Amino acid sequence: MLAVDVKNIKKTFTSKQDTVEAVKDVSFQVEQGEIFGLLGPNGAGKSTTILMLTTLLSITKGSASILGIDVETQDKQVREKIGVALQDTGIDPILTGRELFFTTCRLWGYSKADSEKRTNELLELVGLTDAGERRVKTYSGGMKRRLDLGLSLVHSPEILFLDEPTTGLDPGSRRVLWDEIKRLRDSGVTIILTTQYLEEADELADRIAIIDEGLVVAEGTSDELKAGIGGDVITLSFTTTEDLEKAHKIFPDAVQEKDELRITVADGATKIPGYIKQLNSDGIEVSAVSASKPTLDDVFLEVTGYRLEGTEEPVEEKPEPSRRRGR
Amino acid sequence: METKRSFAVQLQILTKRLVLRFMRRPLAELPNIFISAFFLFVYDGALGGVFGGSAQGTPLDFANGNFVNFILPVSIVSASLSGGASGIYLVEDIESGVFKRYQSMPISKWAIILSPMLIGALRVLVQAGLIMVIGKFIGADPAVGTVGFFVVLSIAFLWGMGFAGYSVAAGVRSGSSQGAQAASFLFFPALFLAPTFVPREALRGWLATASAYNPTTYVIEAMRAVMVEGWVIDVIAKGYIAAGAFAFITLSFAVISVGKATEKA
Repeated sequence: MLAVDVKNIKKTFTSKQDTVEAVKDVSFQVEQGEIFGLLGPNGAGKSTTILMLTTLLSITKGSASILGIDVETQDKQVREKIGVALQDTGIDPILTGRELFFTTCRLWGYSKADSEKRTNELLELVGLTDAGERRVKTYSGGMKRRLDLGLSLVHSPEILFLDEPTTGLDPGSRRVLWDEIKRLRDSGVTIILTTQYLEEADELADRIAIIDEGLVVAEGTSDELKAGIGGDVITLSFTTTEDLEKAHKIFPDAVQEKDELRITVADGATKIPGYIKQLNSDGIEVSAVSASKPTLDDVFLEVTGYRLEGTEEPVEEKPEPSRRRGR
Repeated sequence: METKRSFAVQLQILTKRLVLRFMRRPLAELPNIFISAFFLFVYDGALGGVFGGSAQGTPLDFANGNFVNFILPVSIVSASLSGGASGIYLVEDIESGVFKRYQSMPISKWAIILSPMLIGALRVLVQAGLIMVIGKFIGADPAVGTVGFFVVLSIAFLWGMGFAGYSVAAGVRSGSSQGAQAASFLFFPALFLAPTFVPREALRGWLATASAYNPTTYVIEAMRAVMVEGWVIDVIAKGYIAAGAFAFITLSFAVISVGKATEKA
C-alpha cells in the first residue's frame, strides 16, 4: 500500500479582493519507508500541499489518501496515522520540554505512567534529556526544532510530515536534525519533507518532487533528475558583456547566468576545445571554462529557468514549467 | 498504551497546561487585583464616613451601617473581569501556532477552545476570592452569614464567564491578543453606568435609565442584597439571571466566532 497517494490536488483561496491558486496541480506517490522531498522556493505551494495532506486545509479539487485513508472525508483517522511538524506550529514557551512531552503523551491517550516513560524516551531520542526541566523559551532554535520533531513522534506515527524542518538553523544543528530524520527513516517511518535547500533534498530525500508555482515540474531520485538533464554542464565565462552576448547568439540554447553561459551537452569535456575554437574564430575571448556533472541546482535551473537560492534574480525570462519525470 | 481520550479528559489535560502557564505568570494577575483592591480601599475611605456607621438612622443609611458590605460587590465585579484573560490565552495559542498543533491531533477543537475559558473562570474565583478575603479583613460581614461570600462568589463566577466569552469573541474577531485586551474598555461603562456608589433609587435622569438597562446593575444589587439586606430572593434571582444571560450570550458568540475562525479554509 502506498504511504501517500496524491492525485491532481488543487488549492484555491478566494477572498473578496481576489482568487489565489496556491496549488494548481500536484500529484505524487510516496512508498512506505522512504523520505520524499518537496523542493521549491517560498510561495511554490509546498506548505499548502502539506497543510492539505495533514487535514489542516481542505482540498479544492483532486484527492489524496494516507495509507489508503481519504484525507478529506476521514480526517480524524488520518490524524491518528501522521505526525506533523509545521513551520508555524507553536510550542508553549512557558512550559518545560518535559511538561510539553508529558502533556502531548497524555493527549495521545497514554496513561500517566506510560507518559512518563515515553517522555523520557523522546527526550533521549531528540537529545534533550539534560534540557528537559528547562522552560522552552530558554532553548536555542535547533533545540526547539528537535523538540518539535520529538512532539510529532509521541504516538509513533507511521508517516511524518516535516515542513522546512531546518530553515533558519546553523549548519551544525541542521546536520544533527538530518541525522535524526535519517534514523527515523531507517526505523521504518515514512517522511515527507519540504525544503528550499538543494543540499538538504540531495542529502535526505530518496525521491524528490520539484514544485514551482503550484505545479510539480520534475520528480525522481536525485540521480534520475540529474541524469535527466542529459549530459554535462559546460560553463563559459567572458571578459566583456559584449563577448557574452555574441557567444549567446552562437549558442542560443545556452542558459545565461550573470556573466556566464551554461551549456548542457553529452561528453562535455570532449566538446570544450571545439567550442573554444569556434568562439575564438569569431573574436570572442573566453576567460574561463569548465565542465562538470550536473547538480540538483542545475536540475532546478533547467526545469524552472531560475536558481533556487538567490531566486530574487531570475536568470532569464522564466519559461513555462515543463514536466519531467525521472521514473 | 494509547487509549482514546474522552472530551472531558482532553479538556482536563489542556486546562492543566494553562494552569501551569497561569501559575508561572503570577505578575500578570497583579494589576487587576490591585485595581479591585484599590477600589475597595479608596471608596471605603472616601465614602465610608458618609454612608457608613455615622449615617445610621438617617436617609443615607443604605449600607445598614457597614459601607464595606455595600461597596465590596463593586470590587468583586471589577475582579471578575479577570475572566477576560480567556481571550488573551486563546488568541496567544492561535497566534503562536499552538492551536494548530492541537488541531493536527485527533482531539476535540472544543476542548482546545473551552480550556482557556475554564482558566478564565479559575482566575475569577482566585481574584474575587482574594478581594473577599481583603473585604473580610476590613470589616465585610454578609447579612446572610458566611455563606453569603459563596453566593457572591458564584454570581461573580457567572459574570466573569460572561467577560471570558466576550474577550474570546473580541480576540478572535480582532485576530490579536491586544484586541482581546483592548476590548476590556467595556468594563468602565459597565461598572459605572450602574448603582456603583449609591442605590439605584438615588440615581436620576439619564444615569437612572442607563443603569436600568445595564446588567451589571442587577449583578451588583444581588450581591448587595446578600451582603447588606439578607435573603431578598427576587433581587438575588435577578442577579443570577442577568449574569447567566450575559454569560450565555457572550459564550455563544464566542463559540460561533471561534468556530468560524478555525474552520478549515
